[in-house]
Amino acid sequence: MSPERAAARIGGRARVGIDLAGALGLTGTMLAYLSLSSLIPTAVAIGYGEPFWPFLAAGAITGGIGLGLTRLGRRSPGSIGFREGYLVVSLTWLLAAVYAGLPYLLSDERQLSQPMDAFFEGMSGFTTTGATVVTDVDALDRSILLWRQLSQWLGGMGIIVLALAVLPRLRIGGRQMFESELPGPEVNQLAERIRDTARRLWMLYIALTLVLIAALLFVGAVGLDDRLTPFDAIGNALSTMPLGGFATDNRSLEPFAPVTQWIVAAFMALAGVNFALLYRTFVRRDPTAIRRDEEARLYGALLLLGSIVVFAELVHADLFSGGEAVRQAFFQTTSLMTGTGFAITDYVSWPTLSVMAMIGLMFIGASAGSPTGSVKIVRHLLVARILRRELRQTIHPELVMPIRLNGQAVEERTLRAVLAFVVLYIGIFIVGAALLAIDARVSNVSLGITDAVAASAGTLGNVGPGLGFAGPMGSYEPFSDFSKLVMALLMWVGRLEVLPVLVLLTRGYWRV
Amino acid sequence: MKIIVVGAGQVGSTIVEALHGEHDLTVIDTVRERLEPLAYRYDIVTIEANGASRRAIQQAGTSGADLFIACTSRDEVNLVACSFARAEAPRATIVIRTSNVEYIDLWREGRLDVDFAVSSELETARAVARSIGMPSARQTDVFADGQVEIVEFEIPAGADPAVVGRRLREARIPEDSRVLAQIRGSSLTLPGGDDTIAEGDRIVVIGSPSAARTWGALLAPGQGRVEDVVVFGGGQVGAAIARTLSEQGIGVRLIEPRLDRAREVAEQLPECRVYNATGIDADFIERERIGRAQAAVFAIREDAMNHYAATLARVHGVRFTIAVVHDTISTEVYELSGVDVTVNPRGVTAEEIVRFAHDPRTQQVAMLEGNRYEVLDITTQPTSEYVGLRFRDMPIRGALIGAIVRDGKALFPHSDEVLQAGDRVIVFTERSRVPDVEKVL
Repeated sequence: MSPERAAARIGGRARVGIDLAGALGLTGTMLAYLSLSSLIPTAVAIGYGEPFWPFLAAGAITGGIGLGLTRLGRRSPGSIGFREGYLVVSLTWLLAAVYAGLPYLLSDERQLSQPMDAFFEGMSGFTTTGATVVTDVDALDRSILLWRQLSQWLGGMGIIVLALAVLPRLRIGGRQMFESELPGPEVNQLAERIRDTARRLWMLYIALTLVLIAALLFVGAVGLDDRLTPFDAIGNALSTMPLGGFATDNRSLEPFAPVTQWIVAAFMALAGVNFALLYRTFVRRDPTAIRRDEEARLYGALLLLGSIVVFAELVHADLFSGGEAVRQAFFQTTSLMTGTGFAITDYVSWPTLSVMAMIGLMFIGASAGSPTGSVKIVRHLLVARILRRELRQTIHPELVMPIRLNGQAVEERTLRAVLAFVVLYIGIFIVGAALLAIDARVSNVSLGITDAVAASAGTLGNVGPGLGFAGPMGSYEPFSDFSKLVMALLMWVGRLEVLPVLVLLTRGYWRV
Repeated sequence: MKIIVVGAGQVGSTIVEALHGEHDLTVIDTVRERLEPLAYRYDIVTIEANGASRRAIQQAGTSGADLFIACTSRDEVNLVACSFARAEAPRATIVIRTSNVEYIDLWREGRLDVDFAVSSELETARAVARSIGMPSARQTDVFADGQVEIVEFEIPAGADPAVVGRRLREARIPEDSRVLAQIRGSSLTLPGGDDTIAEGDRIVVIGSPSAARTWGALLAPGQGRVEDVVVFGGGQVGAAIARTLSEQGIGVRLIEPRLDRAREVAEQLPECRVYNATGIDADFIERERIGRAQAAVFAIREDAMNHYAATLARVHGVRFTIAVVHDTISTEVYELSGVDVTVNPRGVTAEEIVRFAHDPRTQQVAMLEGNRYEVLDITTQPTSEYVGLRFRDMPIRGALIGAIVRDGKALFPHSDEVLQAGDRVIVFTERSRVPDVEKVL
C-alpha cells in the first residue's frame, strides 16, 4: 500500500470517537420498551370513558421511533462501551420527556396544548420535579392526570435502571449507565450483577409504593379522610414514592385530612433514605444498617433540625400552634428537603427565616441512592470533610488525610468528581437564575429576583415549586417558552447529576 | 526431641543457637552460605534445598519430627512448608513465622492448621510498646494471660530512694511484686533481704501489671504517661508499631516518605496522624515540633537512614528514642550514638519460637540475659515433691518461684504460702537448671 493510500485510510476512519449507531440503537431499545407504559393510561381512559387514542398514538409513535433506532443500531459493528453510555443515558431521558409530553399535546387539553408546555410537563414528570404549567389540575381528564403521576413514578427509580432490570439482554455491562443515572457519587451494589441489583431496587420500590397505596386506600375507605378517593390515593402515592410532587388537586395536599398528610410525610421521609439501605433494613432485616450509615444519620438530624427551626418560627409568629404547627413544619420541611414539592399550605407567606430555611433545604437534598434531586447529603458531607482537610493541611502541609465515609477511605478521584459536581451545580444554578431573570424582563413577566432564584433552584434540584406565581399552589404557566425550555433543560441536567450531560458538550467526547 | 527448621537466616540461626544442645536439629535452606557456618559451629544436619518442596521436607525426616518450624522471611514458603509438614507428620507441633498479621488472626480463629504463629512485625511492635509503656524497662514479658509481668529495669540516676540505695528487706517494694534477680556488671545474683539495689544495676522484677507500672514510676520519676510518639517509617514494622501503640491509647504520628504507602497507612490507621515526609528534613522536624514528642521510634528500612533520623531527632530534643535494628551488627552503632533502646525483629521472633520448643507443659519461656536465665511457666504435677511445702521451706537450687496461678488467678506468694498440685508456677531459673526444675515440679 502506498503511503498516500494508507494516510487516506487512516484519515477516513478516525472522525467520530464513539459508536453513534450503536448508542442510538440502544436508546431506541429503551424507548421501545418504555412506550409500553402508555398502555396503563390507555386502560384508565377506557375505564373512565375518556379519549384513549392520545396515549395509544404516543405509544405507537415512540415505539416506532424506538424500533427504527434499534434497527439502525444493528448496523453498529463494535460493542457499546463506557463512552457511549453517557450519550445513551442523556438521550434516553431527553426523548422520554418528549414521549411523556406527547399525550398532552395530542389530547384536546387546552392547558397543555402548546408544544413547550407539553415538553415541560413531560420533563417535569419523568425527572420527578413536579413543577407544572397546569393552572387548573381539577379540570384535567382522569387519564391525563394519572399519566402525569405515572411518569413521575416511572422516572423515580430511573428508567435506565428499570430497563436494566427488565430488558432480556443489553449489549453493555450497564454499570456505568447505572451509575450515571442513580443519584449519588457511588453505587451501593446489592448483588454481584448490576441486573440483579436493579431488579431488587425496583422490587423494593414497587413494594413500598403498594404499601403506601394500601395505607391511603384504607384511610379513605374507613372514613378517616372523606376527601381521599381511591383515585387520589393511588395518584398521590405514585408521586410520593418517587419524591415527585405532582398532586391530583389544585391545592396540592392541602384538602386532605391530617392523617393522610402524616402518612405521606412519613413515606417522603422514608423515600429520602438510600434505597440500598432500605433494602438492607426491610429485606435483609438488618435494622442497624440505617443507624450505622453516616449519610442516613445526618439526613435524620437535618430533617429534625429543619423541622424544629420552622416549627419554632411558626409558633413564634402565631401562625399555627400545637400539633398543627408540628405537622406543618415536618411536612413542609420533608417535602422540600427530599425534593418532593408537595404543600399543605401556601408556605410562601411564612416568615422570612422559614422561607430561607426552605430554600436552603432545596440545596441540601436527601440521601444519595434515593429518588431525590439536588446536591444530596453525602456530597455536602464529603465537601465539608474536604474543606476541613484543606484547613488542617494549611498548617501541616505533609499531613496525609484520607477522607472517610462510613469508615472507608474515599478515593481521591471520587472526591474530585464531588467537588466538580458541586461547583458545576452552583454554576448552572446561577446561569439558570440569570437566564430566567433576563428573559422575564424581556418578555414582560413579573418575576422578582428571589422568584428567579427559587425557580432555578427548584427545577435544577428536581424539587418543583418555586416562589411567587410559581409557588406551591401556583403554576409555571406565566413563564415564556424560552424560560420553560431553560427550566426543562435544568431538570434534565439536574436529574442526571450534571456530569453525564456536560461531558457530551466537550469536544473530546466525540473525537477519537 | 527432633526439630526441623526451615530457613537459616537470622531467625533460624538464633533458634538453632538456642536449641542445638538439647535437641536433634535439621535445618533446611536454599543458600549454602547460610548453612555452612551453622554446620561448622553446631552438631546439626543441614539440607540445601527449597523448604517449599515436598522432597526436601521428606528428606529431612519430617514424619518423625516432634517440632517443625518454618521461619524463612517469605510467608508463602512458610505456608507451603507447613502444609507439607502437616501432611507428613500429623502429630508434630508446627510453628510458622509470618509477616502478615492477617495470618496471625486466621491462626487465632483456628483457620490455619499450625500450632503457633509468630509475626516479626507484631512481636517487634509489642517489644517497642512495652519499652514505651515503661521507659526504664529494658524488656518485658507477659505471662498467664497478662496477669503476670516480668520486667527488666535499668536503675537510672534519680530513682526513688524508697527502693534504691537501701536493703531490700527495708525497701518499700510495691505490693504484688518481688525482685527476682539483680545484675551488676556481668554477674547475676538472686538477691536476698540484705542486698541493696544501686544506680547502674539492672534488676528483674516479677509482679502484677499495676505493680510493674508502679516500679516504672519509682525508677523513672517525672515521666508520666506517654501521649505523643512519633514513628519514623511506615513499612510493615512501622505500621504494626503505630497500630499497637494507638491501641494502647497513645497518640501516634507516623512519618513515611512514599506517598502511596503513607496513604495506605493513613487509611488503615484512622487514629494516627500520617505525614508524607522523609524524616531527615530538619525543616519539617522543626515545623511539626517533632522534638516535643515524648518518644520516637525509628523503623526505617535502611539502618543508615534510620540511624541518621534517630540522631537528628535527638538533636531536635526527643528525649527517648527506640530503634528497630535490621542488622544485628548495627545495634552497637545505635547504642553508641545514644539511642535508648534497640529492638531486633528477628531476635524477638526467634525468642517467641524458642519458647515453644521447650517442655510441652512449659507455656512460655522468656530468654533473659543472653540466654543464661529463663523464666518458665509450669503446671505442677500431683507427684511433685514440692507439693504441700511452704515456699520458705523449699530448697533453693538456682531457681526462684515468682508467682503462681491458681484457679486462673495470679498470686504473688508470701513465704508461708503452700504450693498445691495443679498450680501454675512461674519460675526464674538458670538455663542449666531448666531440666531439673521441670523434673522436680
